[in-house]
Amino acid sequence: MRNNQNTLVGNYNRMLRGTPTVTFNYLIKQLPTATAFINKKFEVEFVSDKWINDFDFDKINVIGKSINELFGEISDDWKQVLDNCLKGETGDKGHQRHFDKDENEFWFEWHNIPWYDEKENIIGVIIHTENITERIDNELTIQKLELLHEEKTQSTIIGSWEFDFVRKKLSWCPIIKSIHEVVESYEPNIKNAINFFKEGYSRNTVALTIDKAIEKGEPWKVEGQVITAKGNEITVIGTGKPVYKYGQFIGLVGTLQNLTPELVSKNKIKQQERHFSTIFNSSYQFTGILDTQGTFIEVNKTALQFSGLKESEVVNKKFWDAYWWPIADYIKDGLKEIIKAAAQGETMRSEIVVLDKDKNPIPVDFSLIPVYDDENKVVSLLAEGRMIKEMFAARKKLKISEQKFRALYELSPTSYILSDFDTGEILDYNTSFEKTTGYTKDHIGTLNVQDILVSVSKTQIYRIKKEIESNNAFGPEEQEYIKKDGTKFPVLVSGSLVGNKKGRKLLWSTAQDISESKLKEAQLKEEQQLLRTLIDNLPLNVFIKDLDSRKILVNKSELEYLGFKDQSEVIGKNDFDLYDKDVAEISRAEDLKVMNSGKAMLGVETINIKKDGTITTFLTSKIPLKGDKGKVKGLIGISLDISDLKRKEEELHDLINVTSHQNKKLINFAHIVSHNLRSHTANFSMLLDFLVSETDAEEKNRIIKMLMEASDNLLETLENLNEVVAISTKINLDKKSINLNEKITTVEQNLIAFLKNSNALIINEVDEDTEVKAVPSYIESILMNFITNGIKYKDPMRKPVIHLSAETKGDYTVLSIKDNGLGIDLEEHGDKLFGMYKTFHENPDARGIGLYITKNQIEAMNGKVTVDSKVGKGTTFKIYFNEKN
Amino acid sequence: MKKIKSICIIDDDPITVFGIKKMLNSFELAEEIKTYVNGKEAIDEITSMVEQNIPIPQVIFLDINMPIMDGWQFLEKFLTLKIESTIRINIVTSSIDPYDLQQWERFKSTTHHFIDFKNKPIRKNDILEITKAA
Repeated sequence: MRNNQNTLVGNYNRMLRGTPTVTFNYLIKQLPTATAFINKKFEVEFVSDKWINDFDFDKINVIGKSINELFGEISDDWKQVLDNCLKGETGDKGHQRHFDKDENEFWFEWHNIPWYDEKENIIGVIIHTENITERIDNELTIQKLELLHEEKTQSTIIGSWEFDFVRKKLSWCPIIKSIHEVVESYEPNIKNAINFFKEGYSRNTVALTIDKAIEKGEPWKVEGQVITAKGNEITVIGTGKPVYKYGQFIGLVGTLQNLTPELVSKNKIKQQERHFSTIFNSSYQFTGILDTQGTFIEVNKTALQFSGLKESEVVNKKFWDAYWWPIADYIKDGLKEIIKAAAQGETMRSEIVVLDKDKNPIPVDFSLIPVYDDENKVVSLLAEGRMIKEMFAARKKLKISEQKFRALYELSPTSYILSDFDTGEILDYNTSFEKTTGYTKDHIGTLNVQDILVSVSKTQIYRIKKEIESNNAFGPEEQEYIKKDGTKFPVLVSGSLVGNKKGRKLLWSTAQDISESKLKEAQLKEEQQLLRTLIDNLPLNVFIKDLDSRKILVNKSELEYLGFKDQSEVIGKNDFDLYDKDVAEISRAEDLKVMNSGKAMLGVETINIKKDGTITTFLTSKIPLKGDKGKVKGLIGISLDISDLKRKEEELHDLINVTSHQNKKLINFAHIVSHNLRSHTANFSMLLDFLVSETDAEEKNRIIKMLMEASDNLLETLENLNEVVAISTKINLDKKSINLNEKITTVEQNLIAFLKNSNALIINEVDEDTEVKAVPSYIESILMNFITNGIKYKDPMRKPVIHLSAETKGDYTVLSIKDNGLGIDLEEHGDKLFGMYKTFHENPDARGIGLYITKNQIEAMNGKVTVDSKVGKGTTFKIYFNEKN
Repeated sequence: MKKIKSICIIDDDPITVFGIKKMLNSFELAEEIKTYVNGKEAIDEITSMVEQNIPIPQVIFLDINMPIMDGWQFLEKFLTLKIESTIRINIVTSSIDPYDLQQWERFKSTTHHFIDFKNKPIRKNDILEITKAA
């Protein structure tokens, strides 16, 4: 097809020359192919209808319009092609994408050929286009176009081919045709294409491979020999692959490469040249090639751009005459000398100054290198100039920073030591080192690291060595150095490994004298220890809490109080972790108050209950702990265990109670005594008064009888008082364990006559093994008193019954004696029931002394007595025997 | 001296009762002398007298320490009785307990009756002074 077109185009050319314009126009209009004639200005002069149709130009008059106007800005490549055409070259076919007004994509194959007039002058370009959209749509063509595209970037030794299986049509690209050395119009087919391969192995392999590809769809790559149309034998590599569309085999595409050695090497040289010129021109260096006489043969773009010169202004001129040298004879002479030397095989290099296009002096690292030919003869010189403006600036910076470093190095209060890592030889040190150690710079060369370092353990050395080897650095590490005078001092050392030019491993060490900080540290430690010892030995519980009331420090006393062995068991715990919940809540509230107000709580009595229930009374102070800016960050607590004091206070209180009670009793007793004695003596006094003035004998006798009665009363009273005093004054009572049940039985036996007379019943419900601690004589008296009382004050309507029972209540054994007698109005008499000489019933036997003595006896045994009574029902006395003391 | 119609002695000690009675009689101070051995007997009778509108004794000798109902308990009840006339009550006791003195002060201030406090023994010259209608 393509060949047809080529033929056609050729025909036009021939046809068009000398054809009258009208006919010409008419003819072109009717051309079956899309063709446009453009003049030298690229304006359309003639055009075929097909062309207008293809590009959708039917609405505009294209004649006279430039292709720029029609297609928008045309690509540089295309412009190049058109320019070439105007020079008489037939351009390659190109492929162009085009969008119509509906944005549909079209592909056109362009072919541009020169347009000659009758006198063989080129007057324009004939553009022939073919809408190949359909073909492009065909997978086969797309693939081939891709291959073509790839080829273009390679060389003319690879060509592509396609085989349309449906039309059974094989197409070769011009390159393949040239490889086969056939004419351009040659039309290949599968059979003769295979036959080009050398008979035998090559042809068989190719034939077989193609068959296989069609049958099995395998791509291939084979090497073989081809005999060209001109009879030359060449080596080729053929590749191919089957193409499918919608799963159907539609053809083959492939390439063919000429491997003939000359072609390959030529190709290589071309490539090398391309590489060379790329490097030569794109280098950032100024590069030029001179002949041995110093004449420029070539100069690169960089140099030209720098100097603002054109190639023609430099090439063939002498090197030293170039514009960029400062015009001074000695410079020129110097340059001449350099070239002379280089031409004799010497490589020259120096820093020089050249001028740029604005005559600014630019420092350049210049070199001149001789270039040798195969026979080792200098044939040319390579001149290179490297701009070292940046290098200069960097060096300047380096110098400044080096100065800075120097200053730092010498003025630093830290000692710097440079030593040989392997030998330990000290190579340099700074002023600080001299000051600290007493060595001077004169000692450099004689000192070794071992001389200044107090020998450390082998493991430490090994560890440091390891550290250096893996990190190229070590430290900071505490070591000890020795001064020149032999004294030792602690230092903090760190170092890093640096290499030098000779491959020697050098170690930069910095050593900081920490004697002072060491001393301070020791002092601090001592102070801390002192403080710790102090707070640990205080007879006080000391603790520090953070804002959340967590203990962050406790002293020994506190630790012991809390029942822990190690601080760590307490640290971080709050009161809720350590104490009873209620107590913890109170404590937390105190903490918050102290921390929020910033005011200390001093000497407050607090009660602490630990988780195990232990109760301790403290005298507690909580003092806010303030941080740097006076902000409260916790509190210090100090508490003094006053449980003992508290207990003693309570004991004292009890004692006072007892004493005052005793005292009261005593006063009461004194009043009783006084009252009783006075009432009798008053009677004596009165009666004696009467007796003295009485004259009547009978009356006198009566008075004397009364006096005797009063005397008897007084004696009885004294006896009673004696009895009471005896109870109250006995201090060490001999209490014994007494079986209560047995004792009741004994008393019952003693009262048997009285009980019989009263027709009374005693019910003893006390357990047989109940024992009480009591004074034997007292308990008898007590039992006797209560039992007889219960019967004495019986209800005349009832048979007297006395119930005795016992139970244990805490420290007491309680004996209940219940009667069914008259009962006592406790509202009226309760307060006087146990008083002396108090009687409550109109009973002639009542003396008002029994209960008083009984009560005294019970109290003397540390017991107590209570009463419950209802008039008309009976009375219950409860006697508490203290079993503890 | 005008004779007092009725005097009563409340005391459990027969010797004291004998003594006071003897002294009163020797001066012929009273037309009638009643004696009671405890407060209960006395208050019961006086209460019934008040209820029956019978004139009650104008002077009362009252002991404090007595069985069943003591002097203070008697006074407590007596003072609640509706008696318009002022009665003289002589407390006669051998007690030197400050409590009893306090009680006296308390009762004294709460009533229109005249309450006196005397320690035993009562002498003849005392009796004249304290046995007057209030």
